[in-house]
Amino acid sequence: MPKLSLMFDNKIVKEVSVGSRPVTIGRAPDNDLPVDNLAVSNYHAKVYYEAGRMVIEDLNSLNGTFVNDLRIERSTLHDGDNVHIGKHTIKVDTSGDAPLPWQTGRKAAAPRINETMVLDTKERRQMLQQAAAMGESMQFASTRMKVPTLVVLGGKSDQKEYVLTNKLTVIGKSAMATIRLKGWFKPQMAAQINQRDDGYYLGPGDKVPTVNGTPIPGPVRLNNGDMIEVSGVKLNFIFRE
Amino acid sequence: MRIVSGGVTDVGRVRTNNEDCFRIVAPLNLFVLADGMGGEAHGEIASALAVETVMKHCLDAETNPAARVLGKVEPNWSANTKRLSTAVHLANRSIFKSAQEHMEQHGMGATLTAAWIDGTKLSIAHVGDSRAYLLRGGNLLQLTRDHSLVAEQVRRGILTIAEAEESEMQSVLLRALGAQPEIEVDAEEHTLFPRDVLLLCSDGLTRVVTEPEIAGVLQAEPDPVRGAEELVALANERGGPDNITVVVVRLLKDSKGWFSWLRRGERKNLGANGNAGGN
Repeated sequence: MPKLSLMFDNKIVKEVSVGSRPVTIGRAPDNDLPVDNLAVSNYHAKVYYEAGRMVIEDLNSLNGTFVNDLRIERSTLHDGDNVHIGKHTIKVDTSGDAPLPWQTGRKAAAPRINETMVLDTKERRQMLQQAAAMGESMQFASTRMKVPTLVVLGGKSDQKEYVLTNKLTVIGKSAMATIRLKGWFKPQMAAQINQRDDGYYLGPGDKVPTVNGTPIPGPVRLNNGDMIEVSGVKLNFIFRE
Repeated sequence: MRIVSGGVTDVGRVRTNNEDCFRIVAPLNLFVLADGMGGEAHGEIASALAVETVMKHCLDAETNPAARVLGKVEPNWSANTKRLSTAVHLANRSIFKSAQEHMEQHGMGATLTAAWIDGTKLSIAHVGDSRAYLLRGGNLLQLTRDHSLVAEQVRRGILTIAEAEESEMQSVLLRALGAQPEIEVDAEEHTLFPRDVLLLCSDGLTRVVTEPEIAGVLQAEPDPVRGAEELVALANERGGPDNITVVVVRLLKDSKGWFSWLRRGERKNLGANGNAGGN
């Protein structure tokens, strides 16, 4: 399968294969190929297959994408090409079969119910009960019922503890922030927490927060007990009973 | 804040009719999107009925501010959020009623995602698996939860996100307008900041275009209509398996400050009320 190798100082840092899904490259950790360097934009470029050829596209990055030292917006990639992003080099290997186009690949995987349909209440209750039973046997469901809470351990804020009820929680000085920071030079929106289906994600606002001491340039999922630090405030993320 | 918005709807590459529907009410800063379902042309009827009902109820706010509030509401919600949530309840009733009265429309329904901006306050009301996102500081934040079986299974920890994306049950909804006489509506309020980008989209986009890609396009393209067109084109490149509808709303800093005279040239390019495109 064709692949991309991320190189730094002539050493391979990471390899990803290019399949039917596009590969995104950037500084944010949710990219398929994250590149941790300040010269790299959050979503810098993407690589995908089009009509059987590997293509790279720059996502209007600040410092540009270079193929064999030529700055490009969009370019076909060939075996052995070197892509330069910031101080990193990505080696292109197009050997092996080109992946199936997106649609056919997915169709082959599973026959899909194409028409949207709504479950009426009876069927729905049964299905959810089955699902819940499955969840319990896998010991997942129990953690879901707990209340996500941020406990303030240090710094100035308007409360000592916050229960996360909204899909979006803003940490900052703004009058509309859920977690209001006090102090002259605090940012309006220091960071934010987004509730998603699989958990709570902390992402940067005007400041880059740290989770357990590590700075996070893009959204990361919070785990029970994580320590968050942003704009001089220390927060402990926990699931309360 | 200044608001510019635009939207595009497209039939896709597989379907023959477009059951999606969207409406931008520029003077109100109201944005409504619906994805219909049901045989023959009935999905189209359902989504259009949903959008029209919501629009009408919100437009009536000026002339009839004391209209009854329906469903569960939080006491601290703004009048707009209460109104928008009520409007979605009304849309459910009108689709349900129409389906009861016309035998051939039985089983029709629609998803609905609506956003109403008043100053810096954003009200969201939502039922189904269309989505609202906010692009802020380079991060794409999801403001709605899908009311689909697979999303519920992810929330309960039974499926991972990756498993849900491969599931053949993706089209099974737990909640939609028109299926029952009364439903539960998700509504929420958020505060907007300058440079935020609000996105409403039907599942025709999110099934085939990944979130980092959506973030990339919204970041790179300052024009809302062109941004929406690019996202639709991307979904069509991936086979366009379903109807695709995208509404992009950009919040810009008011240029009333000291340097506004420097930017005056830029404002001329916009329409009468600062909105570009949309229907």
